[in-house]
Amino acid sequence: MDFKEVIGYRRSIRYFDPDREVEREKIQKILEAMRIASCAVNAHWLQAIVVRRADIPPDVLEALKMPVAALVQELAPVHIYCYLDPSVVVKTKGKRLKELHDVGALNPTHGWSHKFVDEFVYPQILEPLTKSPAYPVAAAFDCGGAGTQGLLMAFELGLGACWTAFNADVAKKYLGVPDHWLPLYEMNVGYSLESRDAGGQRPRPPFEELYHEGRYGVPFRRDPVVVKDLERDKVLTPPAPLPGRKEEIRRIAKQLGLPE
Amino acid sequence: MGLARPIQEYESVAQWRQGLAAQWGGDPLAEDPEKLEILASFCEFTGQDPDQLVAFCFLRKKDSGVRFGSAVRQKELAARIRAWKETLGLPPRQAQGRQNQVLSFLIHNGVSIQMGIG
Repeated sequence: MDFKEVIGYRRSIRYFDPDREVEREKIQKILEAMRIASCAVNAHWLQAIVVRRADIPPDVLEALKMPVAALVQELAPVHIYCYLDPSVVVKTKGKRLKELHDVGALNPTHGWSHKFVDEFVYPQILEPLTKSPAYPVAAAFDCGGAGTQGLLMAFELGLGACWTAFNADVAKKYLGVPDHWLPLYEMNVGYSLESRDAGGQRPRPPFEELYHEGRYGVPFRRDPVVVKDLERDKVLTPPAPLPGRKEEIRRIAKQLGLPE
Repeated sequence: MGLARPIQEYESVAQWRQGLAAQWGGDPLAEDPEKLEILASFCEFTGQDPDQLVAFCFLRKKDSGVRFGSAVRQKELAARIRAWKETLGLPPRQAQGRQNQVLSFLIHNGVSIQMGIG
């Protein structure tokens, strides 16, 4: 699928074929997409544990579920539990920044050298940052970016996916997660039972409410010509609700034996 | 124990009717009266009327009086639904269908008990 269409047709899929396994290679591709995401100071805080739902004992699966996400977790054949490892910056002490320098990504043109990393960036910026209350927020932002890259890859591969929360205490015990890891979200992955448009692009707040230009309160002007371009390129796809959505949900509900 | 009045007169049943109609169109309770019979059967099993079933799933905070959904109570009700389903002696698919009518009643009254796929 074209990159723009991947963006345009991504939906949070909540109905998966519970019996259709996801090929291991596709899971790897999702993880590979996460690994090459943009990341501040090349730290790579995101850690992920892939679990096949069928391998989770029923009592554990029950306990992992969250009230508003239980069915998604039950249907998705693959769960990718995402965590943030806050220890990585102190562990690597600027080593990954120096790797960026060595391959020509961070250059003297922008003030970068090994000495700069060792004597300034790590001791005066990174190490103190790890003690700041803002640190987990910054790291989580990066994890979100990496996770999204994996999410888009799932759709590119013809899969569906949906983020949900999970019971972190249960997961920690079951997955053997280190004490210092912070739980983020679970990516539920599988083959969608929903149509490609899945009822249409979901409602979003108005563009001008979210994006500003120059200063807060000055809406970034939305050019209708650009909107038309994006519609043509299928980044902006027909909005929900599309005709036939209720019938689609009823059909899936009957197929899976769900309440209406 | 029978219900004190016709089942469709309970506020929670009216809410169910309204929710189903808004979601799916028409009047699903009138079009499929078995839905009400199934709910009545569950009420009989629990000894509670429809409004009591919904009220059971909520508690109020002692200090503020604010109403909140009780996870413990909802689990308890889920267990009662499972027990009732067992007593029906129906093939699994049919029993699941009946369970889903009770769940639908609860869902449209703000109680989301997710009991998995059939």
